[in-house]
Amino acid sequence: MKKVVMGNHAVSYGVRASEVKVISAYPITPQTHVVELLSELVANGEIDAKFIKVESEHSAMAACVGASAAGSRAFTATSSQGLLLMTEMLHWAVGARLPIVLTNVNRAIGPPWSIWTDQNDSLSMRDVGWIQIYCESNQETQDAIPQAFKIAEEVNLPVMLVLDAFFLSHTYEIVDLLETEQVRDFLPPYNPEIKLDTNDPHSFGNLASPDYYMELRYMIEEAMNDARSVIKRVGKEFGEHFGRYYDMVVPYRCDDADVILVTSGTVASTTRAVIDEMRDEGIKIGALKIRVFRPFPFKEVSDILCSTKKVAVLDRNISFGNHGVFYQEVKSALYGKTDIPIIGYVLGLGGRDVTPKVIREIADKAIKDKNPEPYINWIGVKR
Amino acid sequence: MSKQIKFESYREMPIRPMTLDNMLWNETGSWRNVKPVYDNKVSPCILGCPAGENIQHYIQLVIDKKYKEAWETIIESNPMPAATGRVCSHPCMGKCTRGDYDEAVNINAIESALGDMGLDNPGWMRESEKAKKKKVAVIGSGPAGLSAAFYLARGGYSVTLYESEKALGGVLRWGIPEYRLPNCVLDRVIESILNSGPISVKAETVVGKDIKLKELEDSFDAVFIGVGLMESRKLGIPNEDCEGVESGLEYLKRVNSGDNLDSSKKTVVIGGGNTAMDVARSALRKGSDVTVVYRRTQAEMPAIASEIEEAEKEGVNFRFLAAPKEIVAEGGKLSKVIFQEMELGEPDESGRRRPVPLEGKTFTMEVGRLFTAIGEKADLDGFVPEIDTEWDLIKVSGEFGETNSKNIFAGGDIVTGAASVVEAVAAGRKAAEKIIRIFIGEADPPKQEETEFGIENINVDYFTKSNRTLKPRISVEEAKNGFEEIFRGFDEQLLQKEVDRCFSCGVCNYCDNCWVYCPDAAIVRKDDRYEIDYDYCKGCLVCVEECPRSALSIEEEGK
Amino acid sequence: MREARIPTEELMGSGHLACQGCGATIAMRFALKALGRETILVIPACCWAVIDGTFPHSAVDIPIFHTAFETAAVTASGVKAGLEMRGDFETTVVAWAGDGGTFDIGLQALSGTAERNDDIIYVCYDNEAYMNTGIQRSSSTPVGSWTTTTPVTNYKKRPKKNMVDIMAAHAIPYIATASVAYPEDLIRKFKKAKAIKGTKYIQVLAPCPTGWKLSPELSIWAARKAVTSKVYPMLEITENGNKLTVWKDFEPTSFKEYIKPQGRFRHLKENEIEEIAKGVESSWQRLLAREKMLASIPGLDT
Repeated sequence: MKKVVMGNHAVSYGVRASEVKVISAYPITPQTHVVELLSELVANGEIDAKFIKVESEHSAMAACVGASAAGSRAFTATSSQGLLLMTEMLHWAVGARLPIVLTNVNRAIGPPWSIWTDQNDSLSMRDVGWIQIYCESNQETQDAIPQAFKIAEEVNLPVMLVLDAFFLSHTYEIVDLLETEQVRDFLPPYNPEIKLDTNDPHSFGNLASPDYYMELRYMIEEAMNDARSVIKRVGKEFGEHFGRYYDMVVPYRCDDADVILVTSGTVASTTRAVIDEMRDEGIKIGALKIRVFRPFPFKEVSDILCSTKKVAVLDRNISFGNHGVFYQEVKSALYGKTDIPIIGYVLGLGGRDVTPKVIREIADKAIKDKNPEPYINWIGVKR
Repeated sequence: MSKQIKFESYREMPIRPMTLDNMLWNETGSWRNVKPVYDNKVSPCILGCPAGENIQHYIQLVIDKKYKEAWETIIESNPMPAATGRVCSHPCMGKCTRGDYDEAVNINAIESALGDMGLDNPGWMRESEKAKKKKVAVIGSGPAGLSAAFYLARGGYSVTLYESEKALGGVLRWGIPEYRLPNCVLDRVIESILNSGPISVKAETVVGKDIKLKELEDSFDAVFIGVGLMESRKLGIPNEDCEGVESGLEYLKRVNSGDNLDSSKKTVVIGGGNTAMDVARSALRKGSDVTVVYRRTQAEMPAIASEIEEAEKEGVNFRFLAAPKEIVAEGGKLSKVIFQEMELGEPDESGRRRPVPLEGKTFTMEVGRLFTAIGEKADLDGFVPEIDTEWDLIKVSGEFGETNSKNIFAGGDIVTGAASVVEAVAAGRKAAEKIIRIFIGEADPPKQEETEFGIENINVDYFTKSNRTLKPRISVEEAKNGFEEIFRGFDEQLLQKEVDRCFSCGVCNYCDNCWVYCPDAAIVRKDDRYEIDYDYCKGCLVCVEECPRSALSIEEEGK
Repeated sequence: MREARIPTEELMGSGHLACQGCGATIAMRFALKALGRETILVIPACCWAVIDGTFPHSAVDIPIFHTAFETAAVTASGVKAGLEMRGDFETTVVAWAGDGGTFDIGLQALSGTAERNDDIIYVCYDNEAYMNTGIQRSSSTPVGSWTTTTPVTNYKKRPKKNMVDIMAAHAIPYIATASVAYPEDLIRKFKKAKAIKGTKYIQVLAPCPTGWKLSPELSIWAARKAVTSKVYPMLEITENGNKLTVWKDFEPTSFKEYIKPQGRFRHLKENEIEEIAKGVESSWQRLLAREKMLASIPGLDT
């Protein structure tokens, strides 16, 4: 059924379709609508779940950890400061190998207070061990949720779905809503073999000596590597079920491009419009959207980017002291494979609008720019 | 014990960080430098009992309502708890640790209740052992003789019991008034003993007169002499033999035989022991105005304190620090007694202060009847010169009553002088056991180790103060008007109430504390005991500290 | 065989990693005897995070989920929700935290769980300081006490936080204090809590010989004297906070006797001891007064 819904509600409908059993969340702008609609869907019985209305995001994730450990499918949504408060429990979910799904609405971090988008909240969780998937549209946002559970439950790692504040969270688009019955074939109910079970008692997460801690971490890394093929397969299976296919990355007019702009989130859409405009002008330019950030799609990224002459990475985030995060990641993916210039651009922080004009400016600049190191290109900063 | 899981590869590890086995591979016993050990002590009451009754043990059995087993435990050391439970001076209670906390456990009453249960359940008495060839003569059917006969017969040895009187019981029958030990009870006690094994009775047979000791020695494999003290000591003052002056023992014997005596005269009893009390109270019951005259003070009186108390309550008068000096007779009949007043001097060998005459101070009393109760002495006629004597008593060489004659043993008052019923019972048993050991060629058991035990060894936090449960009784008014038994036995409720007060000093009574509190779950609760699993005991000693009764001790590790 | 005073099933086995005479371990042993096998424990950072044993071994024969320091209550809420959504309404979920994880860092999440009245038993085994990290003061540390962060030259001057009152303010159906010195009482309270739906809070005094500078064999002794000296009243709050029952049927003992063998109080001078003892008595009187007051309000406890 197609319906015009806001991004946040697309999240809620994705949850409904995924037969989530325990939801625990705390409200934060701009994620609030997710929680509100979920409350309603649980209250009116559209979702057969318990909603634990906790007193903090830290507790939200702790409740999800508990529920998931008990063998139930668990979901939460948050943003910015909330995600940061959760940090400890994000680690816990990974260490405990729990397939929790979290939707994070990208919002800038204070102070100063900002409720608008940038990616610094989710990207500061880069090393925690969560699979991270960046969504570009409301449809993708909804579709990502059952996929996320399928992936998480297969590799025993939690999945964080990310969408831009306001540009997506509060924007209404037509979404083909998933129905629970349709999804059940794709995503069967969660029934893990290992769980908290008085008939099969185990103690989870007790003290591990240096003899074994490293192996347990290695297993997480292995799971993360396994996730690459699982994500691809699940994206394909989803397409087979619903006609919408998903992959690690989405290249756009890259085949003969001299310059490729690397993007993520809603900026990818804007970028594609600019690419079309420039192609019309005869400029050989393309775009590469990175959908899955963790595990990082090294192969896909390098396969595509090695065939071009110049790479421009658009970062709606900043890793103070070392460029944008996507820039670092792309560079490391290309290390030793090519010596083409890779240029990083930081833009759109704290919700500053990334218009086609801004993208065009970056594209033009990228075509001109030599290898820009060691400085960073901050786009639109009032100097 | 489990083995510690070791992973060689991460591939062997569970997908989630979870446990697969218990911690039993981790033998925390190695952390220990001291260790607790179960180490039962001997409870002070047991050490206090001349018969060595396992008091602590039978009380615990009573708590579990194992009355038969409790009774059997007493019977191992004393065949007549129904009697001793009534008349014993219960030195056990003087040793009871609870006495230093609130009041000693009423062991005497518990014993009495169990004794009565035994009488009511003749089936509790086990069959004597298979009949043996050897036979033993026992002379005297008082507590020593009955006791010796019982343990010999129980062992399967045939016993011939010689008694000079027609009825058995000795001092139990003749020396103790019915209000303390009714004849009907005594009869049942004796019956139970006689029924316990091959005992034949030769009553009204005086050894030395009707049959010679030598004959017994020749026809039996062993002889036990337990004749007690038959004769009262004399006052040694003028006119002692006049009419109206009588030995208290003789008087008691007549009272107990049912002689209906006119005692409506002013009566004086000389002495301060149990016999004096029995005489005084018996005379009182016969209608006399009775005064006990004792040469020291009440504090030095050898009688059981409760007996003195009862006598006072019933109206017996006491005159302390006075001794008869002269009896004034008129027409061969007692009329007055002149008393010498005394004071207390230096302590004598008994530890009591010696009475010393106050020069020139005398007083005279009009007296209708005078009973002497200043002690009894032995009649050794039938035994000398064959048996060595000392201080007019039979001389024995060891703790089992061995006399100079190889197969002749002796015990009870005839050896010790006037002592208690329970001591006589103990002597009879010890001699019987020794005789049996000689018969079967067994060595003497090691002596029981004496351990120091006091209130400091009790974790009093586990107890609440309570008063001793007293035996129900008839009123003083009722008591003094007849010979009805004054104190009644405990019913089950009172019995349970009182046994619950026992600390079970030094002896594990399975209270669970050690097991309950062990932080290391290293104490194993077995059917009737606990075991410490030293593989895991960390040596914290909580069990030792929390044992209410010091039934655990501490050992240094490696010793 | 005499009937055992407490259930004989041992769900906590030997070989665990607790110190000698550990009160927290005794508390666990009793609690599991009361609760039985159909129980899941959630344990945050605390001594029990270590006592349980080392991967892949556990001394406890029921499921345990080890969680982060401040999340015992809410993780338990999550576990309970997860179980119920799987159709399991029987299993008792127990959050088992120390006083640091309860009075301090875990207070917020506990308050949340209690306010929602989630159906769990929250147990605080109270050893009155951060013992697992090496004896630092917590807000449960009693006034006068030494810890490594309240040295004798500046011992703890503020009284122990009244956690029971805080919980009572949440109007949850059951609150109790217990002491490892009174196993039957402790077991009774756990059984009672198990039968009640909603959030139950049980605070168990669990002496720490190591942290209290107490000879290990005196662990239970101290747990008993804390009660009889009125330092640690045994109470139950029922009827959603409306009924208070204080245990008074004991032979009172002195505060001085209680603290004497505890090195953590050794620095106190006579007048300081008297001052603290006065405070103990007034807290006790206040408690009794409240018990009376609540009982005097008609219809309150129905």
